[in-house]
Amino acid sequence: MIIKCPYCGPRDVIEFTYQGDATRKRPEPLSNDPDVWNAYVYDRSNPSGLHREFWLHSGGCRQHLVVTRDMTTHAISSVAFARDIASGGQA
Amino acid sequence: MTSSRLPRGGRVERSKSVRFTFDGKAYSGHPGDTLASALLASGITLFGRSFKYHRPRGVFAAGSDEPNALVTVLSGDVREPNVRATELEIHDGLVTQSQNRFPSLDHDFMAINQLAGPLFSAGFYYKTFMGPAIGPLRGTRFWMFCEKFIRRAAGLGKAGTAPDPDRYERMNAWCDVLVVGSGPAGLIAAEAAAGTGARVIIAEERPLPGGSLLASAETIDGRDPSVWAREKAAALAAMPNVRFLTRTSVWGYYDGNVLTAIEHVSDFKPNRTKGQPRQRHWIIRTGKTILATGAFERPMVFPGNDCPGVMLADAVRRFALEYGVAAGSNVTLFTNNDSAYEAARALSLAGVNIVAIVDVRADVSGACRDIATAANAELLTGHAVTGTHAGKTLSSITVQHFNAETCRVSGAPREIRTDCLGVSGGWSPAIHLASQAGGKPEWDEDLQAFLPPEPNQNWVVTGAAAGYMDTISVLSDAATKGSAKSRLILPPVEAPMLDASPAPVFQIEPSAKSQKAFVDFQHDVTADDVRLAYREGFHSVEHLKRYTTLGMATDQGKTSNVPGLAIMADARGISIPEAGTTRFRPPFTPVSFGALAGERYGDLRPHRLTPMHDWHLANGAKMYEAGLWHRPMIYGSHGETVEQAYVREARAVRQSVGIVDVSTLGKIDIQGPDAAELLDRVYTNMFSTLPVGKARYGLMLREDGLAFDDGTTWRLGETQFLMTTTTANAGPVMQHLEYYLDCIWPELRVHLTSVTDVWAGTAVAGPKARALLEACVTGTKVDNDTLPFMGIVHSKIEGVPVMVCRLSFSGELAYEVYCGSGYGTRVWEALLTAGKPFDVMPYGLEALGTLRIEKGHVTGAEIDGRASAHDLHLDWMLSKKKPFIGSAMLGREGLKDENRLSLVGLVSLDNQAITGGSHIVTDARPREPADSFGHVTAACYSPALGKYIALALVKHGTSMIGNRAFATDLLRGRHCPVEIVSHHMYDPEGSRMHG
Amino acid sequence: MAELQSPIGSAYVTGDHGNAAGGVGVTIRERIGLSIIQITAWSDTIPEVLTAIGSATGLVLQNKPGLGRVAGEKSVFGFAPGRYFVVAATPELELRLRSVISADLATIIDLTHGRTVIRVSGPDAEWVLSKLFAIDFSEHAFPIAYGRATLHHDIHANIQHIDDETFDLYVFRTFARSFWKTLGHAAEEVGYKVE
Repeated sequence: MIIKCPYCGPRDVIEFTYQGDATRKRPEPLSNDPDVWNAYVYDRSNPSGLHREFWLHSGGCRQHLVVTRDMTTHAISSVAFARDIASGGQA
Repeated sequence: MTSSRLPRGGRVERSKSVRFTFDGKAYSGHPGDTLASALLASGITLFGRSFKYHRPRGVFAAGSDEPNALVTVLSGDVREPNVRATELEIHDGLVTQSQNRFPSLDHDFMAINQLAGPLFSAGFYYKTFMGPAIGPLRGTRFWMFCEKFIRRAAGLGKAGTAPDPDRYERMNAWCDVLVVGSGPAGLIAAEAAAGTGARVIIAEERPLPGGSLLASAETIDGRDPSVWAREKAAALAAMPNVRFLTRTSVWGYYDGNVLTAIEHVSDFKPNRTKGQPRQRHWIIRTGKTILATGAFERPMVFPGNDCPGVMLADAVRRFALEYGVAAGSNVTLFTNNDSAYEAARALSLAGVNIVAIVDVRADVSGACRDIATAANAELLTGHAVTGTHAGKTLSSITVQHFNAETCRVSGAPREIRTDCLGVSGGWSPAIHLASQAGGKPEWDEDLQAFLPPEPNQNWVVTGAAAGYMDTISVLSDAATKGSAKSRLILPPVEAPMLDASPAPVFQIEPSAKSQKAFVDFQHDVTADDVRLAYREGFHSVEHLKRYTTLGMATDQGKTSNVPGLAIMADARGISIPEAGTTRFRPPFTPVSFGALAGERYGDLRPHRLTPMHDWHLANGAKMYEAGLWHRPMIYGSHGETVEQAYVREARAVRQSVGIVDVSTLGKIDIQGPDAAELLDRVYTNMFSTLPVGKARYGLMLREDGLAFDDGTTWRLGETQFLMTTTTANAGPVMQHLEYYLDCIWPELRVHLTSVTDVWAGTAVAGPKARALLEACVTGTKVDNDTLPFMGIVHSKIEGVPVMVCRLSFSGELAYEVYCGSGYGTRVWEALLTAGKPFDVMPYGLEALGTLRIEKGHVTGAEIDGRASAHDLHLDWMLSKKKPFIGSAMLGREGLKDENRLSLVGLVSLDNQAITGGSHIVTDARPREPADSFGHVTAACYSPALGKYIALALVKHGTSMIGNRAFATDLLRGRHCPVEIVSHHMYDPEGSRMHG
Repeated sequence: MAELQSPIGSAYVTGDHGNAAGGVGVTIRERIGLSIIQITAWSDTIPEVLTAIGSATGLVLQNKPGLGRVAGEKSVFGFAPGRYFVVAATPELELRLRSVISADLATIIDLTHGRTVIRVSGPDAEWVLSKLFAIDFSEHAFPIAYGRATLHHDIHANIQHIDDETFDLYVFRTFARSFWKTLGHAAEEVGYKVE
């Protein structure tokens, strides 16, 4: 598999570390609602079709990327810096 | 002699000879021969014994699709089994052996298995190894006893046990276009693609380019097609944007247009130049892939179709045209399509005698008739082969009338004397790579074959692989597929007008009395096995494959796939496309483990050395590998055991002073205006309140509330911290911090850099540690006021800038001295010199571990991913003033459960060692499985206490203190009576390190 | 100050090695006496930081992924957003950079002790390095003077393309000896010289 890193360009999957579901949103730190936290920590969606995942370019620029990937074909439709998305940008 | 070298023809170098052995006997061939062609030229037609029944088998194909002629290549102590004789290039000194026979190929005891035929039918293993369900042996292990012998009888070559001395390499490549195959389609597609300036890699499985052109009686551009191919290939190879790899088999097609290939760099050579690998594993990342992989001829399934002398018609042609070898002196062909006539024409031109052509079709074209006449071969249309007669090789065949519409045999059998039968059951495009890439193959009625699927990645299929079976349409298809912009002028081709579409006949169904009809030669799967699988309810092709093992041998069903499906479809009364096909999976051809491992093992895998590594080695350190790191275990003196050495070292630390290399600790530089805020969020305790020039011990949890890592973090400036992590968690902690900064808290202005390699670290520990530092540190005092507990000073040792932090893992008065790695050894030696008056002693990991066990300090053995801060008595570090990672989950039920394991100490009551990993039980000799209520995480002999001690995680830990139990180790048979004590086993008040 | 101890140690054997038949495919050597300073700009200060690096070193860069410059012993290249290596044979490089780059523009860290710089040059440099790294070394994918962050055997490394047939490899010091041996092993096929 090849992931096209927005900084480094196309790189082999061996350079990346999978960092999980990118659709979760971390609850407010002061929240102590156990259900909300439980859902965040343990529940993962496993859609057939498009999914958003975090991949760390650990063997390159060491940025976390949000990769949109089709779970049935493995085709990657977009890659963006996670930081940009977390700051309010869109993939 | 049945097979022999023809007086002329082939591309072997007849002027030179090559000597080799097969089953201990010497033979010779010519450069350019394969083992198969050279042995056939020497009259050898028996190559091996079959998998289950030990039936005699000969060569069946002429390339990578060979199912039968597998041999073992011997080189010194090394044996490589299951090498296809049809691909093995001979060289002087090559030693080969036939397989699956005992004691010899000609006299094989296990051939008796043939008599037990019905016993070994489909599902044999599943039925047999369940053990007898009834009878006197029910419930016994009798079947286990039998299994040994049965498994020994069945099988392919034996793997060697000697280490593989050969060298393998990995190669990474990137290109715009990868062309797989260099037959007519591959060459023209590559030429078209390369003409656009694209970077092109061409991978050809065989030693010579040309594919089917190497054995063609057609002409291209007025010349022998093999000459045309050689010239075309040479011109391509000379282009700067083209890399032409021969002997390179592309075996895997992965996501993102990543393909893998094995290049046989030198395994065909008697000698290798220095540094030359045997095989090179290519990982090719390509923009576009052109699959010009050709097609495999498939066999017909008929009674007795597996005896030596029966082979693919194309193989007979290739042996004659490529190697100048007649596979028989009187050849018969058996076909359901026109391509066998082209083979007959080529063979006849090459000087091979054709006796007859048996065709299942009622009528054939004029072109076919003309060829039969010209070859002086009897043409038997509407006939089929219904039996063979063979000892070690074919002597005659039986033919009968056959109706291709009803697939019924009729009439009296007629015997034809022949020593080689070339069979053609039509052609299957080599769609393996496209299928691996994930597409669903499509059935083509005309070709009676699966065509490649619609591309799901950027690939195209061209030539015979795409279903074009005549050279003219292959060339024009390849030019367009190579590049849409291609303006290549295609060469003229002269070829007879033949039609590759076969009659839809796959099998000549055996009568009750006839011989076995094989579908998968390598796994000995017969047509009857397929029908049995159907009767027993295994209808889906995936079940058929697993139940009968059809297509699961090293040839991955290259010849057996379609005939097997056809027979199943016939049994179910449905069409072949309705039955469907299995998905091909990598590898396309067998790949050696060596090639996959490449250089990533032994000395060549990464080793991580501290700056003082050479000093440790020069001073008697016994090293061990902790992850990738090499660390001193002990510094041994002669005659000392490991235990004596670490006890001596640990005692020196408690009594005077010792130094230990702690460079392996993970170190992360954390800088930026929000650095303190980040630490407050990731550590359970507060760091924003830490003054500059002080360090603090910190604990991190995971989001689920369990302990993750611990270490000290030093505040070097208002906005700069140096975080230390455990050695093992350096990478994970870095990733953890990066994750939160990138994905959760992008608003924090913090930069992280791993500086593990920048700093050499030495811990100086013991009552004399301060005196030692006073003797070498310049520019600052190190007294209690200047350097209090957890204080940091910047100073110099021998002119080298150092940072000294007073912190203790050993429980003694202790310091960590950090300097630039390039000065690590220098500072280490300066510390030793300064400590000489105090008999300073370097100590290794064993002593380090002993000191921390005595103190009850935790490491990765206790922070094992299941333990909470509370379990480890670290609740005091959990701030109530702020949220931190994991704080929200701390209150959940599972973490409050009173049955959780928690940290305690153990003292051995029998004065012998407690073994690591022991379980804590109440009985001295527990039954199996024991009711364990905890386990030992670390154990040692404590010189400070004069006892064997351990740390353990135990249910109801603290309330168990004072109780007795047993630490039991069923594997080692050690049952140690212990007393459960507090984990603070030595100096619980901490007066020594604060002193 | 005394010279830094090289981590390669006894594995560094000068002279010709490997297959001599085809001449010297690559020449490898450790570059010593360099200062290696890492500068990381904030996402909103990159142009200012590049200007400052230019004024301190004379090597001016545009803000483009992986871009670098080489002038003799001096070089600079980017390998992550806002992150650069500035390399020169001057011990006071860090001080000079700190004098023009204030704490609010970027963070600066001296990695001199943490990296070993290995220069690989020769007609087979690309071939040998392709055995060890999964990146595209061809000039159109990796132009001269550009930098890269990548992996050897799962270990982080940086590479700068110096000229047609020369690359500088920045490897972690603690892995340097192990990498050096692997590099020599990979180069045996084409023959190599250690300078």
